[in-house]
Amino acid sequence: MRLIDRIQLNEKLRLIDEVTGKSYAYKDLPNVSWPIRERSLLFCYLNNSIESVSFLIKAFESQHVLVLLSATLTENFKAVLESTYTPNYIYDASRSTVSGYKLDGASLHVKIIASNLVLHENLQVLLSTSGTTGSPKFVKLSENNLLANAESIAAYLPILAADKVPLNLPIHYSYGLSILTSNALKGATLLAGVQDVMSKGFWDNFQKYQYSTVAGVPYVYEMLDRIGFTKMQLPSLRYFTQAGGKLRDDLVSKYADFAKEHGKLFYVMYGQTEATARMSYLHPDHLLSHIGSIGKPIPGGRFELNEETSELQYEGPNVYGGYAECVKDLSTFESPALLCTGDLAKVDEQGFYYITGRSKRFVKIFGNRINLDELEAALSNRFGAFYPCLGWQDKVVLVYSTNTNEDHSQIVTWLSVEYKLHPTSFKLRTLDAIPLTANGKPDYKFLLSDYEGR
Amino acid sequence: MENNQKLINSFQEALGLDTSSIVDSLTYQSVPEWDSISHMILISQLEEDFNVSLETDDVIDMSSFAKAREILAKHGVSF
Repeated sequence: MRLIDRIQLNEKLRLIDEVTGKSYAYKDLPNVSWPIRERSLLFCYLNNSIESVSFLIKAFESQHVLVLLSATLTENFKAVLESTYTPNYIYDASRSTVSGYKLDGASLHVKIIASNLVLHENLQVLLSTSGTTGSPKFVKLSENNLLANAESIAAYLPILAADKVPLNLPIHYSYGLSILTSNALKGATLLAGVQDVMSKGFWDNFQKYQYSTVAGVPYVYEMLDRIGFTKMQLPSLRYFTQAGGKLRDDLVSKYADFAKEHGKLFYVMYGQTEATARMSYLHPDHLLSHIGSIGKPIPGGRFELNEETSELQYEGPNVYGGYAECVKDLSTFESPALLCTGDLAKVDEQGFYYITGRSKRFVKIFGNRINLDELEAALSNRFGAFYPCLGWQDKVVLVYSTNTNEDHSQIVTWLSVEYKLHPTSFKLRTLDAIPLTANGKPDYKFLLSDYEGR
Repeated sequence: MENNQKLINSFQEALGLDTSSIVDSLTYQSVPEWDSISHMILISQLEEDFNVSLETDDVIDMSSFAKAREILAKHGVSF
């Protein structure tokens, strides 16, 4: 049985639009008609509005292959993606016309000359690895990947049909999507049109709709800390979850203490898009005694540490079917026996895992994964020089330039627009020459220690 | 420095906006530069620049430039 069929079975499932207060049962969601009947590639530019959530659910009913994207991508980047993949359908509420497409219904653009793509039978969803930032590289997921991960999450989180669940993370991103799928499986009430945690509206609606849970990536928990979450009276809150990168140990402790004191459950979790979303979680019972741990594998999953490199590897039914970087990649679906996470880890005697480092060069800024090698390539394309980049504590990206004459603010502005990150996320530093290692590669270790000793 | 100018500078620094767009009617989330992330940066900036400690309600009530002035006034900053 498909995930969407399982979701449809829940008569209690409700979708509430916080903007209008209207409540929808599954059968009330507007149907989508598909002028091209063949199984097609469907680009979905989504936000967390009722229209987006409802469309996504209906798209899951179809046989189409869904590419989930942020509605806030730049026009320029949308055009690049669309010419790379030639989708037959584009769902985008922000554009009234798309060249080569005709509008059908409110926001669905249909390709006038349908492209005939070879789509592997297992392929159901494509997710970007980097959230809102610009890379045409996608993770290929199957129907079974999504169902298996949603079921596993629903098995370990204390989800109840009576829950009121705010969709406060982007649904085009693996964590946000997993909240939608796992809660829908259990027939909870999902809230669309949720405001961000820094707005008054979020807290007004927290009380009005009696939120049962909250989810957040590390920076959301930084914000919640900033506004005094642990001092609030939130009787409706039963549990809250954190994933999408490592939260500072002192904050994990603070939230763990808060949870214990108020009889709430705090779940620290670990995963990545290549595993659909989730690979492990730390049970709240063990949280205070294992601060900093990513816990144990989720039901149905298994970890293995590479003996030589200590790289964390994962096996489970939620492991992806490879990456797509062009149309040709849509015709294949090959799941590796073991997913190499790129994270280095250790395990204690009781079987709790801890991340100790990374084998790949990337940073996670405000929940967005940025591959530093790709960033260097993009800078070189745009500005015609080599700018070594490195991350510092998942807080800033350091960009090095050897050209003292250029306008550095122009580079920072370009980066913040292109990657949709606050300009202070990038620090441009000037060097006379780029330090190199013995084998002629940029000496990132030197640059990092130099920055830390500044 | 006059406090209103100081406040404009704080906004400019934290949000990366042009001073000409920092006016009373500038509201939270009305421009891409003022999102939840930069709001957090703005709050820290204001606390530092005006030597105040902002509470939960202050942080989530600060929905416009005009509101920021009002909240700072409540903390004893004169405009």
